[in-house]
Amino acid sequence: MNFKKQFNEGLLTKNPVTVQLLGMCSTLAITTSLFNGIGMGLAVTIITICSNVLISALRKVIPSQVRIAAYITIIAGFVTVVDLCLQAFLPALAESLGVFIPLIVVNCMVLGRAEGFASKNGVLASAVDGLCQGIGYTVALVITCVIRELLGSGTFGGGLLNGGEGIRIIPAQFPAMQMVMPVGGFLVLGFVIAGSQALMKYLDKKKKEGVK
Amino acid sequence: MKTNENIVKYVLRLALTLFIIGAVVAACLAGVNSITAPAIEQLQYEKTQEAIQAVLPGGGDEIDFTDDSGLVSVVYKGEAGYAVQVAPGGFDGPITMMVGIDFEGKVLGISVIKHTETAGLGAVAAAKTSAGEAFRGWFVGQSGSVAVTKDGGSVEAITGATITSRAVCDGVNAALDCVAKMG
Repeated sequence: MNFKKQFNEGLLTKNPVTVQLLGMCSTLAITTSLFNGIGMGLAVTIITICSNVLISALRKVIPSQVRIAAYITIIAGFVTVVDLCLQAFLPALAESLGVFIPLIVVNCMVLGRAEGFASKNGVLASAVDGLCQGIGYTVALVITCVIRELLGSGTFGGGLLNGGEGIRIIPAQFPAMQMVMPVGGFLVLGFVIAGSQALMKYLDKKKKEGVK
Repeated sequence: MKTNENIVKYVLRLALTLFIIGAVVAACLAGVNSITAPAIEQLQYEKTQEAIQAVLPGGGDEIDFTDDSGLVSVVYKGEAGYAVQVAPGGFDGPITMMVGIDFEGKVLGISVIKHTETAGLGAVAAAKTSAGEAFRGWFVGQSGSVAVTKDGGSVEAITGATITSRAVCDGVNAALDCVAKMG
């Protein structure tokens, strides 16, 4: 087990959003305010860790012919638990994310980690993998959120700071509403992916120069 | 014979594993639900009471009503007028909301209790932000029937959420009709 490598993969080189392009539905749909990004990121991280741990623990019990059905059942169970808990104890977030919480069931990132990692690795490594991938997902979401919110609504920290209004940075008449609509999601996501690719190239180059 | 037995065993194993996983997950969910259901119900009740207070100063008591639209679920009558709970179909499922109407048939205010509209767009209708308040403010003082500006009315629709805005208008109209019938 190599924590540093797993962390680096989750955050950058195998980031679920910018490199694996998994969980696009939620990424494009909810990244309109900081509160949504952090909330969705945390919910998905918790669910990925839980489902990774359980699937890893059961990996020798589940016959491979029915594994996908078994994984989805387990994931759906965790998602519903999180959904119910949010509705009961964090109603503001549950309301803000609405239907996208139950839709985490079909977030390919969760199933992808179950199939691609947890089904082949130990419990602890799978938990770490869930955490690292979750962090990577959350970071990508939060960056997208901040850019879209700033350009689309002209604020920072919507739903979280300043009594839910967010801190106004651009006067209300200027922001382009399109940025919080689907088209803005695709645009900003493209630039975030480009940015992460550029960062990886830069780091690679630096590493090579260091070796010389 | 031997192979047949093997196949039976193999199929049974697949089915049983899935059955056990499903049963355990279902049991866990039942447990969680029994803990969260009262809390969710309590929150829903509080929100409904809050919504009544928000649109009908002084609150009110439940009364009988007649409704042709099929959208009205409960009507409360108080000293200031009526609070009508309606659930028009929004972009993504029903929008449960309370509409306050005075005895002259004018809207006192609207308050959204529960909805599943898109975050950042349709959800603005329920948000406690200045944009949300501005949208709900369009309905105050209206009578007869309401519509968004696109449909020739006077309500400025939420940008990017015309369907949600129309749904809220439908709900307000249903509430106005319902109250009008009561005289």
